[in-house]
Amino acid sequence: MNSMTKLMMLSGAALALTAAQPAMAEWKPTKPIEFIATAGPGGGTDIIARTVQGIITKYKFIDQPIVVVNKGGGSGAEGYTYGKAMAGDPHKVIFGTSNAWQQPMVSKVAFNYTDLTPVAAMAQDEFLIWVKQDSPWKTAGDYLKAAKSGNLKMGGAQSKDTDEVLTRMIEKIADVKITYIPFKSGGEAAVQLAGGHIDSHVNNPSESVGQWRGGTQHPICVFSSKRLTNTDKVTATEGWSDIPTCVEQGLNIPTYQQPRTVWLPGKVTPEQAAFYVDVMKKVEGTPEWADYIKRTSQTNTFLVGDEFQKFIKDDIAHVHQIAQEQGWLVK
Amino acid sequence: MESNIESLMHGFGIAITMQHILLMMIGVLLGILVGVLPGLGAPNGVSLLLPLTFGMQPVSAIILLSSMYWGALFGGSVTSILFNIPGEPSSVATTFDGYPMARDGRPSTALATAFGSAAFGALVGVVLITLVASWVAQFALRFGPPEYFAVYFLAFASFVGMGGTPPIKTLVALSIGFAIAAIGIDTVSGSVRLTFGVPELVKGVDFVVAVMGLFGIGELLLAVEEEMHAKAVSSKIDWREVLRTIAGLPRYGWTLLRSAAIGCWMGITPGGPTAASFMSYGIAKRFAKKGSRPFGTGVPEGIVAPEAADHSAGTSALLPMLSLGIPGSATAAVMMGGLMIWGLNPGPMLFVDQRDFVWGLIASMYVSNIVAVVLVLLTVPVFAALMRIPFFIIAPLIFIICTVGAYSVSNSYLDVVLMFGFGIIGYLFKKAAYPLAPLVLAIVIGDKAEDAFRQAMLMSKGSLGIFFSSPLVTCLILGGFAFLVVPQLMKLVRPRRARPGLEATEV
Amino acid sequence: MISQRLIEVTTAALTGLFGVAVVVSSIDNGIGWGEKGVDAGTFPLIVGSAIALGSLYNLVRGALVAHEVAVTWVALRRVAGLFLPAAVFIALIPALGMYASSFGYVLATVGWQRKLPPWKTLAIAVAAPLFLYVVFEKLFVVSLPHGALFEMMGF
Repeated sequence: MNSMTKLMMLSGAALALTAAQPAMAEWKPTKPIEFIATAGPGGGTDIIARTVQGIITKYKFIDQPIVVVNKGGGSGAEGYTYGKAMAGDPHKVIFGTSNAWQQPMVSKVAFNYTDLTPVAAMAQDEFLIWVKQDSPWKTAGDYLKAAKSGNLKMGGAQSKDTDEVLTRMIEKIADVKITYIPFKSGGEAAVQLAGGHIDSHVNNPSESVGQWRGGTQHPICVFSSKRLTNTDKVTATEGWSDIPTCVEQGLNIPTYQQPRTVWLPGKVTPEQAAFYVDVMKKVEGTPEWADYIKRTSQTNTFLVGDEFQKFIKDDIAHVHQIAQEQGWLVK
Repeated sequence: MESNIESLMHGFGIAITMQHILLMMIGVLLGILVGVLPGLGAPNGVSLLLPLTFGMQPVSAIILLSSMYWGALFGGSVTSILFNIPGEPSSVATTFDGYPMARDGRPSTALATAFGSAAFGALVGVVLITLVASWVAQFALRFGPPEYFAVYFLAFASFVGMGGTPPIKTLVALSIGFAIAAIGIDTVSGSVRLTFGVPELVKGVDFVVAVMGLFGIGELLLAVEEEMHAKAVSSKIDWREVLRTIAGLPRYGWTLLRSAAIGCWMGITPGGPTAASFMSYGIAKRFAKKGSRPFGTGVPEGIVAPEAADHSAGTSALLPMLSLGIPGSATAAVMMGGLMIWGLNPGPMLFVDQRDFVWGLIASMYVSNIVAVVLVLLTVPVFAALMRIPFFIIAPLIFIICTVGAYSVSNSYLDVVLMFGFGIIGYLFKKAAYPLAPLVLAIVIGDKAEDAFRQAMLMSKGSLGIFFSSPLVTCLILGGFAFLVVPQLMKLVRPRRARPGLEATEV
Repeated sequence: MISQRLIEVTTAALTGLFGVAVVVSSIDNGIGWGEKGVDAGTFPLIVGSAIALGSLYNLVRGALVAHEVAVTWVALRRVAGLFLPAAVFIALIPALGMYASSFGYVLATVGWQRKLPPWKTLAIAVAAPLFLYVVFEKLFVVSLPHGALFEMMGF
């Protein structure tokens, strides 16, 4: 492709983009691209990386082959540290969550989010309180009343990560004490709840939808300012949009979401970053993506540039406060 | 049960088409390749094929991926037997007797024994899935943290309690394994442990890196010491040897059945194929007749036991994935990711919602395991021929394969250096008669056992009583103690005369 | 010649050092019962102590071993003959990459033996990295290190 046609195509693409993104995507990958999923196979981060890979390959948004590599060691630290070490290499794309900035706050890991180049926050995953199907608690109110005893066990993925932060927020706002038991993944927590070994967990929709359909557990409320929009029925009678918000039920945590973040290693050029912003924007416009968002009941947000930075700053301020109260901050 | 058989027949109708048989063959052959090459494991292969499956019917896609998984399980045993390099974590225990037998000039017999018992194990696993799927899924739900810990404890007890090496050396080896398993981020507290100032160690030490060093490189250094080594392998391809071995397998019927049962148990419960193969080997060793050739010198039972258990565990590990959405192995985890991308939600309703998919898969397991065992037996002479390459040529090639394998585990040069270090340790440990097997087992399930213990302690607020709180967990724990104590009591009651000439070199 | 005693003592000293390192590093993680149940350092402290104490016992036992020969000079030379080139091979990977170093490694070790005609040696030395390239780089898209030197030259 000569540079003239390339330029024309790019200006076309640029027109389609929002004004926030400067059109300088004059760079394109020259080698196979590695998508680094900062989670083990089958986790939410792994699935988004593979979904994006599938969409890009299907629509040929990038003509280089893409491989997904799982680097979930150390709760994702392996992937981020790898991204840091790959500084300047625009052929590595790192898929993660908010732990890119949360983990360095609470663990002695060898990276910080500032070592990476932010590309986008592609979706927001919701959180819900789930209890066992046959549990006596029908609402958040019932649940919190039971929690007053101090004997409730809450399962979650990892320690000092989003699930535990949320648990500690619930404790604080409702003035209760909950025993938090960390597991390797949300899926594991869901199975433990099905077996009655724990009383509740705060899984994302996709981690527990199978269990809900199967009648082993059900959600009592969602941490969102308004009810979820997906009106499909999951069980015979209920669907995502039937779940009340936690605020409705008197648990005043209006929103709590987990962003799915995409990064490049540090020290890449703005052109290179812009290329991937552009690609991700195209991915977001496909029906496959809409389908993925709907199936996993996430909220479609697409934060880039300053918006993304602002989101990070706000989240850091918020989590920092909780981490400080809990004495989690690394010295 | 009647309806399960009916569903299975329905499944066969879906699975047996020309296109699917072809997919099975492709899957199996690619699987053998990734299985044989250390470092490239079944999860690699499956995750690389995954993008190709997006355009397929889910049932065709899962047939391709699961066939690859079977192929890799078979292939993993090849390098274990021929070169003492476990290509897959679960084939470590196969090295204990497979490698001595191959060195003794019988690589075809060793490989055929391994493949035959593996196929048997896999079939038992599939039959289990067919007949009692829903019951098994319910049973698996009864496992909480205390039960997890108890299962790991049982696996350790059944394997570690065996005598043969100085107990303090066993203790040191076991503890080193536990310490290595603890390197990296701790699940329960989220803090970074034992990285000794090397930031990259936060990812932990991969099992494959450790095993390739300890077994592969360590053995290479030992082998070169004794000049050379493998008895000449006859150059003619002896198909009759392969067939005779397969035909002779029923002689080990009891070992086969027991090992397959252990495998199924560990596949359904959280133990997984690696722990299953170790446990099965340990138990087979205990049940060995007095006066027969000791384990570790190339006895067929020492190959039959870990292989049958490995494959029945690998197969039954797919059941919790389908019915509960918990993957029983790393490969199962990648496949589960695939399920979600194909738009299926693993979980209790999958069997009802996606009847064609589930039963097509289960039926394909029967067919693709037969395809796999036929294909893999055809490769026996090819692999056995590798044993005829002179040592001075094969040694550097093995070394390169191990290096590349260690590197490709997570694209890290540090892993290569670590593997080399483990090689030196492996050599020294062999020379000084430290057992390697407890070390390896501790690396595989040490951190899981620790997590489970601490999760249980959180649940019980520090009371050990939780390990006796239900009949299930009590039985498991008592079983573990029995494995530890009974052999010692036996020794007291009936002091065994030392048989210096016959004692196997402890692995 | 290397005696069994030397092997026993060296091994015990190495494991002992590792044990001490584990103990020291575990103290950072907290010992005992804390906010989050059993603290993260407890288990490493226990196994670290077991390693250290066990190694001490093995060290003493090892030192008392009779002076048997564990590795003869001839055997030691053979081990070194495999070990040293391998160490060089690994040391060269960052600079030369996997392909060039494995080519050189095979060429040197097989050539050294002078048991094969040069063209055969060369053929094996070329075939090994070629196989790696086809299987890893092409078939399974696992990128092996190309080496700093070659990356500078634009590979």
